[in-house]
Amino acid sequence: MSDPNGPVLELKDVAVHFGGRGGLFASPGPVVKAVNGVDLTIGRGETVALVGESGCGKSTLSNTIVGLQAPVSGSIRVAGEEVVGADRRKLNDIRRHVQMIFQDPALSLDPRSTIGATVGEPLKVRGVAKGEALKQRVGELLTQVGLRAEHADRYPHQFSGGQRQRVVIARALALEPGLVICDEPVSALDVSVRAQILNLLVALQKRTGVSYLFVSHDLSVVRHICDRVVVMYLGRFVEMADRATFFANPKHPYTRALMSAVPQADPVVQRGKERYVLSGELPSPANIPSGCAFHTRCPLATEICSQVRPELTPRPDGALVACHHA
Amino acid sequence: MSADPIPLLSVENLTIEIGGASVVDDVSFHVAPGRVMALVGESGCGKSLTSYAILGLLPDAAKRTGGRIRLHDLDLSALSEREFRKARGKDISIIFQEPSASLDPLTTVGSQIADAYRTHNKVSRAEAYDKARQMLADVGIPDPDRRLHQYPFELSGGMCQRIMISIALICSPRVLVADEPTTALDVTIQAQILDLMKKLVSERGTAIVLITHDMGVVADIADDVAVMYAGRVAEIAGVHSLFAKPCHPYTALLLASVPTLDDAPKSDLATIEGRVPTPDEFGEGCRFASRCPLVTDKCRIEQPPLFDCGDGHRSACWHIDRMPELMEAAA
Repeated sequence: MSDPNGPVLELKDVAVHFGGRGGLFASPGPVVKAVNGVDLTIGRGETVALVGESGCGKSTLSNTIVGLQAPVSGSIRVAGEEVVGADRRKLNDIRRHVQMIFQDPALSLDPRSTIGATVGEPLKVRGVAKGEALKQRVGELLTQVGLRAEHADRYPHQFSGGQRQRVVIARALALEPGLVICDEPVSALDVSVRAQILNLLVALQKRTGVSYLFVSHDLSVVRHICDRVVVMYLGRFVEMADRATFFANPKHPYTRALMSAVPQADPVVQRGKERYVLSGELPSPANIPSGCAFHTRCPLATEICSQVRPELTPRPDGALVACHHA
Repeated sequence: MSADPIPLLSVENLTIEIGGASVVDDVSFHVAPGRVMALVGESGCGKSLTSYAILGLLPDAAKRTGGRIRLHDLDLSALSEREFRKARGKDISIIFQEPSASLDPLTTVGSQIADAYRTHNKVSRAEAYDKARQMLADVGIPDPDRRLHQYPFELSGGMCQRIMISIALICSPRVLVADEPTTALDVTIQAQILDLMKKLVSERGTAIVLITHDMGVVADIADDVAVMYAGRVAEIAGVHSLFAKPCHPYTALLLASVPTLDDAPKSDLATIEGRVPTPDEFGEGCRFASRCPLVTDKCRIEQPPLFDCGDGHRSACWHIDRMPELMEAAA
């Protein structure tokens, strides 16, 4: 690709909207602005966490990056190549650099394919390897994720949830992508297995230099695995900072509410901490509040918040925050 | 454990078998009024089956082969299905993980709450609706008059869970079983629901049996905790004692595998090697033996009873004295 040291992903002013089109007899419905002008750069070997409540646009954004959803405006560059407006052939070529891991491994594996066939499929489709070479590569991939080469002949139902997620990870890494989007990769797993998978993701990154976009709502997991954190609220980024700054000094009132809402696994800390419970729920993305979208739930809101939308502005410690008062 | 003398709900030596394997084996715990007892464990540990047994809702394949469940002086395990129906909803209630799957999509939420009330009380529809309106206000739903006439699909997941709680509590049951009540919700909504449950416990003195796998939720709301593993109680203790001084290797490893704020980023988390044994792999000895770092021959042959470690803290492990060694290795 163009620049081996350049960022694996560059988003510029990306917006994704749904609906709004009327049918033959239907009047136009409301436009749902799921993603509304976001900028993000992910460097090589970096892990960026994308955090927010359901309905904030995290999944729409991930789907847009892998090309499952077309943006209405903006630019998406994967390893330097523009995705938006690329023709099918080009898009296919670009896509091998981005792979995805979903939450529930049972739903992302074909129950009727052996895991060898599943892991080998991307290699076969791309014509990277076949025959004996393919078999050997599949064996290597399985070993890399902590399974054994002879597991290739088994079916998904013969594995536990954690092992299945390992298979999914092996498939995602088959084409040596620059970026893997992990959409809640451990939230469907038991606690003891969760730690195994997190350790695996970290070890694989150290070995292969892959970058992760880690979509999660679990801030303790995020803190463990990420270099940088982005918080999304109703289609826009409201805070972006490196891990240390983010957790030492969260600034946006929404970020602080999210952090306070995550229960700590320590009764003394958990019961002693200052509570900052948000009232109400996420407004509908079809009807985003004026000004700062968060002002309807924000404890710091004043008049300006309902009128003027705050831009992401840099703070002395390097964090970017979109708030009039933080 | 709680020092309260009169337990409201007692589960005594409960054993449930599926196909000859004891998937719940000799489980005992007590819950006093106004207390929250958490049953914690990974999938397949028997925590949900235990809760279904309390409600008399065991699936056909599962048979209770031993033990008793008592609600104050009423022996729940001796009730016929007909008698159980009278108790369910009135004396003892349950809320499930996925509220949208538990609510009737074709009926307004007001009618669902009122029905629950009218099943156990001879009142007019209007009175039942008044009661439902009051209940919605109690669980913190704004504008209850409008909400009463809405359908579940018009409400968010958090709202639906509040409706479920309203249905479960409208007859003021003495015991509420909550099976992963916040797992399907966002953390911000989870915090609201947990606060609501705490408020209800303190105001109404409801005893709660909370089924969860989230140690953070346990730390937030539980008074007592039973850690279950492969159908047995591995450790049972007051919440502070359990987190401060776990006496079972499984609990210690489980706590160590949760990322905390003190970990170095991207460091290796403690893991528990292997997996939970399936029922046909249960042996004679301790069911955690195949994954336990402290395992000896004795563990594989002989099942450890629950030993007292002081203050009502009990652990089913032959090697409680070697726990410091394990804690050191984990740190």
